[in-house]
Amino acid sequence: MASQQADRGRAVRRAVDSPAAEWFGLAVRLGLAVVWGWAGWAKVSDPAEAAQAVRAYEILPEALVKPVGWGLPFLELALALLLVLGLGTRIVAVISAALLLVFIAGISSAWARGISIDCGCFGGGGAVDESQTKYLQEILRDSGFLLLSAWLIYRPRTKLSLDAWLAA
Amino acid sequence: MSDKNREGKRTARERMAQERAAEQARASRNKKLIVGGTVLAVIAAAVVIGVVVQNQRSKPETPAAAPAGAIGDKNLVIPSGASNAPSTLTVYEDPRCPACGSFERTFSPTIDQLEDAGKVVVNYHIVSFIDRSLGGNGSKYGANALACAQNAGHFRDYHDVLYRNQPDETEDSFGNKQTLITLAKQVPGLDTPEFENCVNSNQFGGWVSAVQQDFDKSSYKSTPTVLLNGEPIYAKKGDEQISPENLVKWVDQANQGKPLGTPGSHGQSPAPSSTAAESNTPPSP
Repeated sequence: MASQQADRGRAVRRAVDSPAAEWFGLAVRLGLAVVWGWAGWAKVSDPAEAAQAVRAYEILPEALVKPVGWGLPFLELALALLLVLGLGTRIVAVISAALLLVFIAGISSAWARGISIDCGCFGGGGAVDESQTKYLQEILRDSGFLLLSAWLIYRPRTKLSLDAWLAA
Repeated sequence: MSDKNREGKRTARERMAQERAAEQARASRNKKLIVGGTVLAVIAAAVVIGVVVQNQRSKPETPAAAPAGAIGDKNLVIPSGASNAPSTLTVYEDPRCPACGSFERTFSPTIDQLEDAGKVVVNYHIVSFIDRSLGGNGSKYGANALACAQNAGHFRDYHDVLYRNQPDETEDSFGNKQTLITLAKQVPGLDTPEFENCVNSNQFGGWVSAVQQDFDKSSYKSTPTVLLNGEPIYAKKGDEQISPENLVKWVDQANQGKPLGTPGSHGQSPAPSSTAAESNTPPSP
């Protein structure tokens, strides 16, 4: 019984450390890069819209609305770039996870306070009709992205990464 | 002696191995620090550059130019009717918003009559946020064309024409400047080369953005938002539903004992004699 468990543990470890897992890691890394790249790019075109998406959460003071609305998309684009390169994958994954937790907390807070907004996750944002809120979908979607980040924190070694090249 | 010697060799070998391990650990720690530092530097640089670039790109909250006759703090409001009218109707509306279209088609004959009787002045805030959620430019270009019409002294008539010809919300026909110019032909005297140039060059784009940013900062979240002397009356005033009859009644109540304003013609056509709601007439192909 105990040895069976140990065997299974070894098998899992082998699978997780196998080259196949590093290829899987590459897919996860690029997937998360696409998410951040898309999210960031969609918020760049209209600065006023980006600021309003932040303001609509009614969390930050007015003085911080614009810096956050303007800086956040570039933070997301920087994360996308670093993920594409595979540089500092674990740190980038930790920052990604932290950012996603902040987003999930913000959306939950808006939901709990009964205000009607679009999360503005991929551009847009601001007040919407009560019937058009999609809080649950938005939180589930971000939770999915959180799982991608968690995998990269757990196994940051991936194929075709700068990290692997530097380690060699 | 030989025992001691062997022991000494072993400790030397161990020491060397330890040193090598320590060396490797140091190198790997350094590498990690460099990578981590690079990551944080890239992120910090991106955020700082982003804030600076967006600050430069964003249109000012105080517009450089406003259409002639615009009033208010930053000249963001288009007034329609006698400036000395006893009551003020404040209307926030987006050219693409369907509820605004339905409000206008039901109420514009009544509102025009109230203006012409000197009972109200209407303060229009032409906002443009539908483009954000649905994509396209119809809100912004439509708002700019309305500013152009105001600049030419034909705001009210063109405003009524736009809302009578409003497309479905998801259809961005006001995003086509030629559509806006074609509709201007329904307002006698409006379609001049100056007006067309104003529409085509998006002359009041900065003003349109400033009006929207002002709305962003307001406590109002949807359109149409309609206030009579500061009190919300759409879709209800207290428990009473808004209707053309009720609007006239509310205005008369608010105006009791006050002198009426003196409306000039401002180049606008007079209100229709009937308060019947106008039908939606889509542009013929």
